[in-house]
Amino acid sequence: MYPLIEIGPFNLSSGGLLLLVAIIFGVMQFERVAQQRGGAPLAEHAARTVMPALLGGILTARLWYGLFNWDLYSRSPELFVALRIADMAWPGALIGGLFAAWLWGRRHGLAISALADVAALTLPAAQAIACIGLLLSGEAFGMPTSLPWGIELFGPLRQPTQIYLALAALLSWFLIRRLQHREYPAGTLFAAYLALQGLTLILIEPLRADSLLLPYGLRVAQLAGLAWLLAAIAWRRDQTA
Amino acid sequence: MQHPTHWNHLLVITLLAGLGWIVMTRVPPEQPAVLGEVRMPPAAEAAPRENHPAPDFTLEDLNGTPVSLSALRGQVVLINVWATWCPPCRAEMPIIQAAYERYHDQGFTVLAVNLREDTATVAQYMQQNGLTFPALLDRDGHVSMVYLARAVPSSFFIDRNGTVRAVYRGAMARSVVSGTVEQLLAEAP
Repeated sequence: MYPLIEIGPFNLSSGGLLLLVAIIFGVMQFERVAQQRGGAPLAEHAARTVMPALLGGILTARLWYGLFNWDLYSRSPELFVALRIADMAWPGALIGGLFAAWLWGRRHGLAISALADVAALTLPAAQAIACIGLLLSGEAFGMPTSLPWGIELFGPLRQPTQIYLALAALLSWFLIRRLQHREYPAGTLFAAYLALQGLTLILIEPLRADSLLLPYGLRVAQLAGLAWLLAAIAWRRDQTA
Repeated sequence: MQHPTHWNHLLVITLLAGLGWIVMTRVPPEQPAVLGEVRMPPAAEAAPRENHPAPDFTLEDLNGTPVSLSALRGQVVLINVWATWCPPCRAEMPIIQAAYERYHDQGFTVLAVNLREDTATVAQYMQQNGLTFPALLDRDGHVSMVYLARAVPSSFFIDRNGTVRAVYRGAMARSVVSGTVEQLLAEAP
């Protein structure tokens, strides 16, 4: 675990650094893939969607984290805008980023479905990079385990949840890239991405020791994942009807 | 699978199986902590281990005032070795704060020994999170070394006689903190 990287007088958090690298890589890749799939017009649409999507994602990621840490955040509401990389949650980021991009795209007449497919071809790789950051900083740490591939983190051997998440992201990337050359209606790649993300959260979240919880010990991320999976199936149903 | 009813079946099956799995893998309710009886007499040698006298130390708090563990004899003390960059440390801070608010009047206190961070970082963190117990600055990591706290967070519960009664490595559950504190407070000094 290497949570801090010392560069001269600065202590950079490795998690934050890798998240930044993931975002920069994701943005560049997003515009490049848009260029490949839709030429200059789609690349231009992509460039105009990036900022609103990022902003919506970051704000909602914090809002999500704060809402499910209500006892702390209600006491110090300034935490909602504090500069803390770790106080963010991925389900919030995806929902908020998607919603902001959709609103923005509708207002400005952008090709939303085509852009969503481009995002599906981009996001998994960026997520895999961000997961390396989670591993370095020890975020999203797993339950104690006696499995031979457990990693030592904060005392006991734990499930390497960060590595599972990275592998799930890479597998999703591989599967979605295989779908991209077939003839499907616009939006199909994104539906596949949403379904794979849903499955990832439903299956890997139970191995995490730091889940955000609802009453009765239910993990919020799993419920979000199930909602995404159902939304993807319902979308596909409406396409085939 | 071209017919819409097939998709509807898939939706219902996914919903039910998903909900069942989510309920099955929920976080189970916490079990209250039970402490072992203290062996009489406790070991003579000071060590950060159960049934040993807690090694004494003096560190400065955020105002620069020196605080000694030995000055807190008669109180139940939780020594929590932590850092702001450590996720499980952050996770257990609200739990420790809740226990501090609830039991402070009955003779419970917390010494949050911060591992090698500067005053401003620690003060800002304590203030933003509404943490009111004393934070001590272990600038050279000396106390953390004496307490063998190589992994943060590490927590040591000291009874009213200055004996280490419980040691936890890694984040503690809410019931572990409150259960341990209640049992130690109930013991006569």
